[in-house]
Amino acid sequence: MSVQQDVRPSLQTEGLSKAFGGVQAVNDATVTFHEGKVNALIGPNGSGKSTFFNIVTGMIAPDSGTVRFRGRDITRRAPHRICAAGLGRSFQLCRTFPRMTVLENLLVAVRPTGLRQLAGSSQNRRQVERARELLRRVGIDHLEGSLAQDISYGQQKLLELAGVLMGDPDTILLDEPAGGVNPALIGRIGTLVQELNAEGRTFIIVEHNMDMVMSLSDHIVVFDRGAPIAEGTPSEVQQDPRVLEAYLGV
Amino acid sequence: MPNASDLATPTPTAPATGRPDDSAGQRFDRRLRLAKAGLGAVAVVLALMVPWLAPDAFILSVAVVIASYAAFAVGWNFVGGFTGYISLGHASYSGLGGYAVALLTTHTGINPWVALVLGAVAVALLAVPIGIASLRVRGASFVIVSIALVLILLLVFQSWASVTGGSEGLRVPRPFDSSVLRPEQHTRFYLLFLLLIGIALVVWWLIDRSQFGAGLKAIREDEDKAEALGVPTFRYKLVVFVISAFFTSLAGGLYALWFGNLDPVFQFSILTGSYMVLMSLFGGIRSLVGPVVGAVVVGYAMEVFKAQYGDSQFHLVALGLLLAVVVLFMPEGVVPALLGVVHRFRPAATSIREESAAELLERNRAIDAQRRAQTEADAETEAERVEDARHATTGKGRS
Repeated sequence: MSVQQDVRPSLQTEGLSKAFGGVQAVNDATVTFHEGKVNALIGPNGSGKSTFFNIVTGMIAPDSGTVRFRGRDITRRAPHRICAAGLGRSFQLCRTFPRMTVLENLLVAVRPTGLRQLAGSSQNRRQVERARELLRRVGIDHLEGSLAQDISYGQQKLLELAGVLMGDPDTILLDEPAGGVNPALIGRIGTLVQELNAEGRTFIIVEHNMDMVMSLSDHIVVFDRGAPIAEGTPSEVQQDPRVLEAYLGV
Repeated sequence: MPNASDLATPTPTAPATGRPDDSAGQRFDRRLRLAKAGLGAVAVVLALMVPWLAPDAFILSVAVVIASYAAFAVGWNFVGGFTGYISLGHASYSGLGGYAVALLTTHTGINPWVALVLGAVAVALLAVPIGIASLRVRGASFVIVSIALVLILLLVFQSWASVTGGSEGLRVPRPFDSSVLRPEQHTRFYLLFLLLIGIALVVWWLIDRSQFGAGLKAIREDEDKAEALGVPTFRYKLVVFVISAFFTSLAGGLYALWFGNLDPVFQFSILTGSYMVLMSLFGGIRSLVGPVVGAVVVGYAMEVFKAQYGDSQFHLVALGLLLAVVVLFMPEGVVPALLGVVHRFRPAATSIREESAAELLERNRAIDAQRRAQTEADAETEAERVEDARHATTGKGRS
């Protein structure tokens, strides 16, 4: 990286650990992701990426360590509060609300500001407009009346992304956005990430598709056995002997 | 009455421009809405006329029992229908509601109707800690916890005979003057149950269309996902759980006032709770009128089976068969299954837009132009990518 001062911390963890029985899934992980950048978290299968993701988003409580988001301690906060703090996430195996329509799927993410909005119609005109705009943006606006279970897997991935965007998060965690998706759609998701990043949203992406990671990311953190072993720009990481060892076992 | 099918209607601009291809589907939707409203109105009128149509007091008392089932099922469905949490222990709240009314009227001498509401409020307050404890677990665990509560209450109310009357039973004072004869009492209670069902359905509908309801339904579909999208799931579940306990308790209290005698074995019976679940599932827990339809059909069947085979246990076998058939062929419940059949006749125009030849030509031209532009753009990005790759391999790296 050339300009050191424009690196501001977004999500930071310190000494994060979590064991499942005898398996140390995350082991004393201290990581910093950069604000305003596309960050990637890579590593071999079973290296603890998903557990790490679930801890920082509040789905799993860590055994020890802290999670800070933009300077605020969010360790052990409930997931909905972490979401409200501006950290949105997608799930590894894309999750939607199957028996709700595409439009309704998005309207769930509306955070009511008061009792009146909570008791008011979920089909609030302003929110519906915003949802339609997001659907148009990801390219599935023609499906708004379909049930989420009836659309294709790729479309569900786009729906999930639109749902996360509905909460207007500053930082978006994507868990394998390219998993199980055809190459054309991977390109489309990549473009969306770049556009959204250009608008100022920070991304943290767990991904196995190296083409996507290398072409999209500004900053890459490599995980192995529950802790970061290397970090840097794509080219730095690609040449790091520890990374090669972790991936190839040389 | 607006419902989920309304969401499928296209953008508000569509009717204004009057696209001819949409009108067939829209006309169908309008007619369906009209038919539903008409059917609903007929059902309400028929339901209101039951006391005057019933040939004798026994049939009328059966109608009261069925109405009470419907009130219980609708109360249960606040939690079951919205969140998908299947509580087998809702007899706790109906039973407590009954005892609350009985004890309040006998010990304080207040107006029984005031006692009914006060009792339900007390039960709702009690449901807060119960909900906090039991809503932490999901699925089968939640079912077990809900049953445990009924069993505990059964033991407590049987043993604490000095207050509850124990197995001797507890007499509930009649709310009406002794000059009101039994058939007249049945009529009044029947109409009171209808009123309670009506109020509960309006509240259910209001929640269904609200932002709160959207969150609750998201919990039913995928709780973790809902939480990750910012829905405070635990608070939502707790609120709707308390609302459910309140309405179930009102129904239980009303039943106690009508029946006039309480025995813990019947008040805190697993069967009572199971009936609420079965009736709701039968009718369809995701629809407004599902539990009512389920209660009427299952309740009526239960009474018929009991009258036919009451001297043996065969009436339970018959009920079991009926439910098995529904679960096999209509897993979503009767109401959604019937609606699904009706929807098959809906003209498909709104899902696949019909186009005139001119429109088609115009569109194909646009697509061609777009494709050409895309290929050019792709060629450019490809060139850039090759360039990038060259930089990367030559070690210049990215800035």
